[in-house]
Amino acid sequence: MVIDFSSMYEGSNDLERIIEDMFRKSPFGSRHLFPKVNIAENDDGYIVDVCIPGVPPDDIELVITARNLIIKGERKSPEGRYFRQERSAGSFQRALNLNVPVDRDKVVAKNENGILRVTLPKADSVKPRKISINS
Amino acid sequence: MNNKEARNVGSIPPTDILEMEDGFHIIMDMPGVSPDSVVIDIEESELNIQGASSYPEADAGLRKLHTEFGAARYQRSFTLSDFVDRDNVKAELTNGVLRLFLPKAEAMKPRRIPIS
Repeated sequence: MVIDFSSMYEGSNDLERIIEDMFRKSPFGSRHLFPKVNIAENDDGYIVDVCIPGVPPDDIELVITARNLIIKGERKSPEGRYFRQERSAGSFQRALNLNVPVDRDKVVAKNENGILRVTLPKADSVKPRKISINS
Repeated sequence: MNNKEARNVGSIPPTDILEMEDGFHIIMDMPGVSPDSVVIDIEESELNIQGASSYPEADAGLRKLHTEFGAARYQRSFTLSDFVDRDNVKAELTNGVLRLFLPKAEAMKPRRIPIS
């Protein structure tokens, strides 16, 4: 009953590894993972915070499959003559493993100042429950 | 100031600086910073930008499983050239990105001198 995030540290998951490989070749580079994510948990579910400044919510695609939460989109850079370009731009994708069933219909996402908070409630079947003992 | 605060001071936000037809644009990533917590000062030719992100360090009742970013205090300074019309600098903050517009000074715009 835990989300298996091990692949994020060890790259043990095939999908994640393929995506990491793609990033290594992308302008973002592996050291500049984009977007950065924080994952936290409480009894009701998982909270994934995605640090995604400059991408309007309409350009962010969140896909929840049976095993993954995939965040993808494109960060566009304006046309002009650049004197300095430190902000990464281009297509991005990150996949997070979900080993615990979430209630897919109740997933909500909210963007606040460039940080997207995705709340994934655990499916009722995996929530802790008190069982009363009949004496 | 304790060590933790000292470390938080002056995170350098990734910045693009580009020239368009209308003038110069400075674009800075400041995720988690709300418009009312940004301070932009111009003193002589020095442009100074500061902003603190209000990203929650710790929500009550949340167990952290994986952390890649945290709250930051952003700070960056630029020196403005005479090409910039300092009185008409405009700023807007959307989706955690600060965008400064620095119009070209009227006196510095290219001009054709008619021959009399």
